[in-house]
Amino acid sequence: MDIPLLSLMIFTPLAGMVFLMFLKQEQVKIIRYSSAAFSFIPLVLSFLMLGEYDWTTSQLQFVEKAIWIPSLSVNYSLGADGLSVPMLFLTALLSFISIVASFGISHRVKEYFAFFLLLEVGMMGVFAALDFFLFYVFWEVMLVPMYFLIGIWGGPRKIYAAIKFFLYTLFGSIFMLVGILLLYFNTEPHTLDIMELIKMGPAFGKDLQIMVWAFFFIAFAIKVPVFPFHTWLPDAHVEAPTAVSVILAGVLLKMGTYGILRISFPMLPFGTNYFSLLLAVLGVIGIIYGALVSMAQKDLKKLVAYSSVSHMGYCLLGMSVFFVGADGKAFITGLSGCVFQMFSHGLITGALFLLVGVLYDRAHTREIEAFGGLWTKIPVYGSLMTFFAMASLGLPGLSGFISEFLVFVGGFARYPVLTGIAVIGVVLTAGYMLRMVQKMFLGQFNVRWEGLTEINAREIFTIAPLAILTLAVGIYPKPLANLMAATLENIVTLVNR
Amino acid sequence: MEFPQIDYVAILPEIIICGLALLIMLFAAFLPRDRRWITGHIAWFGIIVASFAVWMNWGTDTRTFAGMYSIDLFSSVLKLIFLLGSLLVVFMSENYIRLHKLEAGEYYALIIFSLFGMMMMASAADLVVFFVGLEIMSVALYVLAGFRRSDPKSNESSLKYFLLGAFATGFIVLGIAFVFGAVGTTSIAQMFDPQQYTLANSFFYLMVGGGLLLIGLAFKLASFPFHMWVPDVYEGAPTAVTAFMSSGPKAAAIAVLARVFVVAFGQHITQLSPMFWSLSVLTMFTGNLIAISQTNIKRMLAYSSIAHAGYMLIAFATGTAEAVNSVVFYLLTYTVMNLGAFMVLLVVEGKEDGDNEITSFTGLGRRHPFLGAAMTLFLISLAGIPPTAGFAGKFFLFKAAVAKGQIPLVVIAVINSLISVYYYLRVVVVMFMIDTQTEFRPVSYPAFLYVALVVAVLGTIVLGVFPTSFFPFDIPLLASGR
Amino acid sequence: MLETYLPIFLLLCVSTAAGGGLYLLSKFLGRKTTDSQYMDTPYECGIEPVGTTKERFPIKFYLIAILFIVFDIEVVFMYPWAVVYRKLALFGFIEMLVFIGILVVGYIYILKRGALKWD
Repeated sequence: MDIPLLSLMIFTPLAGMVFLMFLKQEQVKIIRYSSAAFSFIPLVLSFLMLGEYDWTTSQLQFVEKAIWIPSLSVNYSLGADGLSVPMLFLTALLSFISIVASFGISHRVKEYFAFFLLLEVGMMGVFAALDFFLFYVFWEVMLVPMYFLIGIWGGPRKIYAAIKFFLYTLFGSIFMLVGILLLYFNTEPHTLDIMELIKMGPAFGKDLQIMVWAFFFIAFAIKVPVFPFHTWLPDAHVEAPTAVSVILAGVLLKMGTYGILRISFPMLPFGTNYFSLLLAVLGVIGIIYGALVSMAQKDLKKLVAYSSVSHMGYCLLGMSVFFVGADGKAFITGLSGCVFQMFSHGLITGALFLLVGVLYDRAHTREIEAFGGLWTKIPVYGSLMTFFAMASLGLPGLSGFISEFLVFVGGFARYPVLTGIAVIGVVLTAGYMLRMVQKMFLGQFNVRWEGLTEINAREIFTIAPLAILTLAVGIYPKPLANLMAATLENIVTLVNR
Repeated sequence: MEFPQIDYVAILPEIIICGLALLIMLFAAFLPRDRRWITGHIAWFGIIVASFAVWMNWGTDTRTFAGMYSIDLFSSVLKLIFLLGSLLVVFMSENYIRLHKLEAGEYYALIIFSLFGMMMMASAADLVVFFVGLEIMSVALYVLAGFRRSDPKSNESSLKYFLLGAFATGFIVLGIAFVFGAVGTTSIAQMFDPQQYTLANSFFYLMVGGGLLLIGLAFKLASFPFHMWVPDVYEGAPTAVTAFMSSGPKAAAIAVLARVFVVAFGQHITQLSPMFWSLSVLTMFTGNLIAISQTNIKRMLAYSSIAHAGYMLIAFATGTAEAVNSVVFYLLTYTVMNLGAFMVLLVVEGKEDGDNEITSFTGLGRRHPFLGAAMTLFLISLAGIPPTAGFAGKFFLFKAAVAKGQIPLVVIAVINSLISVYYYLRVVVVMFMIDTQTEFRPVSYPAFLYVALVVAVLGTIVLGVFPTSFFPFDIPLLASGR
Repeated sequence: MLETYLPIFLLLCVSTAAGGGLYLLSKFLGRKTTDSQYMDTPYECGIEPVGTTKERFPIKFYLIAILFIVFDIEVVFMYPWAVVYRKLALFGFIEMLVFIGILVVGYIYILKRGALKWD
């Protein structure tokens, strides 16, 4: 392909941001529509990319390479494979949806959309970068707009949440920086090219691998977030404005697992094997802990936020199982469960946050107890909420089920006891999700909500694509599975070098 | 006897700068009061001419004045950094002088004299030349710190700076004396030649001398435990002078540290490394931890400058040519971003005297988006977040340190960067996230200040994205003669 | 090594002997007056030893003093230059002109700014 597809996807939003700067603060309509347009282009491009992608190979595609800082041998190099293509698509989709969902923002509109577009640049870049330096730059670029988005447009404790988010993530990423430098100096010739480093993977010493793996894991685990590092998540998710919560849950969390799969796994095979049990244990702790805490939540948004901790735990459990079977075939069930979960959690939780936002805009409260019997008043909203609650708890036929099923099948192959414990998580998830649906939509109608209006067309427009995809992946997961199979097999082979 | 060999072309920048300062003094004497602003224009024009002179000498590697003065790539790069810093300071002072009715002629003359001293320090290949440069730089700064004569805080600042600076100077002289006693020379290149030892225990005295020199330089660099003067002096001095003080002298001190401790004492880096290691760690922690509790933005920037001195010392704990290269690059980035932050501070400060509380920034982001965005850029750059200059600076520095196996030090430094994020972001919080009912006080838009601000913004971005395009990362240290 | 300091030591001895001797001589030879109000004061010439400490001098004294020091030091630099003047020849002459030129600029400056005006 001749057009630099990935560069276009990354930098169109940046162009949009620059464009917005030339508009006046008062031209709210133009700002909204132009930023939607600028985020729509990457979405179109990502469809193009899906069409062009050759899923039969694990080779990187759409590769772009240009010399950037020669003395460091840093290159501007981009590329996509079966792991990043779904993520890029998800990012483009959720960004567009979130921008449309933010049309209700009336406070400092121009800055809001400018930051949002900058955020999209960072996210796209992380999923496409093939150079460590570039990866790190994008990883950090994302922080600043996110910080502002939470800090300016957030809820009552926005400043606390924003700083906490920033410091936590930065804490992780500076360890990543040290890890990157360590790898850089242990290669000859020094390189920061991720693909080169992956080739050299097994040559790294064992101690080095363990140390660097741990450094990287701190960075990625904070983003995921894995159990002991998760405390920024409820604050950030709850205080952030709706659209930002969608991005946080839908895309940012995936960067952690993406990083582990893209970097730690193939680059540090010894470290990965060394820590695989830890991954599984932390995953299971996350599943159970997240679910239990969710059960105790009275605030709807907090419930969804903690459910993310639980759901990302499945990712960890799934990715902890990787081996090459006796027949020489790579066992990718667990890994594909993980990637499926990344994708479907992005859809489902994104939609749930959108729905929470829809209700909050009208009711100005998120107390689950405050509602009741809403179904009679707003049936469309109620059914959408129920649909996604079901998807979240893993109802067969919806995408959540596929991913959890794959994770459990994969998990049993190596950690039967742990997986057995993890299954309890499904029951717990069903518990809090159903309780939420029952308390809010069934039972006695609370007259206080007499004036509640039904979800409007724009909001449906934002949620519909997510619902369709959830259903589509749930019923016919094969295309997505095909998309990533070759890449995942390659990763498993690389880990077992 | 014929004329001694002096390469006048090589020292042309110094000649220009010295002549410039004298010229400004004459202008200050002869111009009527209301026309003295002309001196500012002479100053920036002269600095640009001098920069061309440095550019002309780019790549020369020569030593003149009987080997006491070294013009090489290292000194040329540093001189350009000083010239850039001074140029920005001259630009940002124009409005400040007008608002506060300061004596323009003397102000610029002193800035240029101080610049002259720094340039001498950068080129010093002999301890005596270094000392003369240091004094020229410092004396001018002592006066500048007290330039707002009617302001008691400015007086306090000047007196404190003078007393402690003179104290530090004493250490430096004593150190030079010890070195001279031990080896019979003050030439930096020959200092560590064992053949020069004149006494049985020359090595011991040499080390004592080196230690004393380090104490003196640590004062100028504002490194722990000689950092006490920094916050008071920075707070009291006129803001434009504070900006100048926080970038220039630091860079000059780094230049001398590099020449003395990496070149001259270079063979003994393994013995020296733990000392610099602990200095660096303590300086970082002191600066960053105390900065957290500051409510005055000038004091906060003062402590942040202490912290940055700590990062710079990493290079000396590492002690390789690569580390010195990256610390010089760090100086360049620090000059740009730090002066940038001070420029915004100058605009916000406006005519108000001494009101530099962080709260005075409340709502800046709303009312003046460009200023708010610029300040945010400088602050995240100071914190070291990509893709800004501050990140590139730290990256190269840490890279050099990791290459030498200084992993714990780098980990401590990154933890410190994290701490620093907290207090830098506090300013961002008040600028953008606190909604204020009161209107932000009107700010003026002086043209020169804005030119400087735009230069700083562009510099911060460009140095961050294309670091190697504008900086030679292969500067040899004192190439000729050793 | 130490013997090079012998003249200094001798000078020390001689000056101590001279000072102490003169004092002792006046003690032995001098007229002994015991009761005089002037003998008990620090300055026998009549200056009041006690006065206000807050006495203020015009700042001009300091200014003149510091300027005197500056130009005094200038002259101090001329002595070594004068000693080797023959060896330095024209170069030394020009260098000294540059040096003095810089100080002349300073002198013109203080003159124009009125630092030497008494009123």
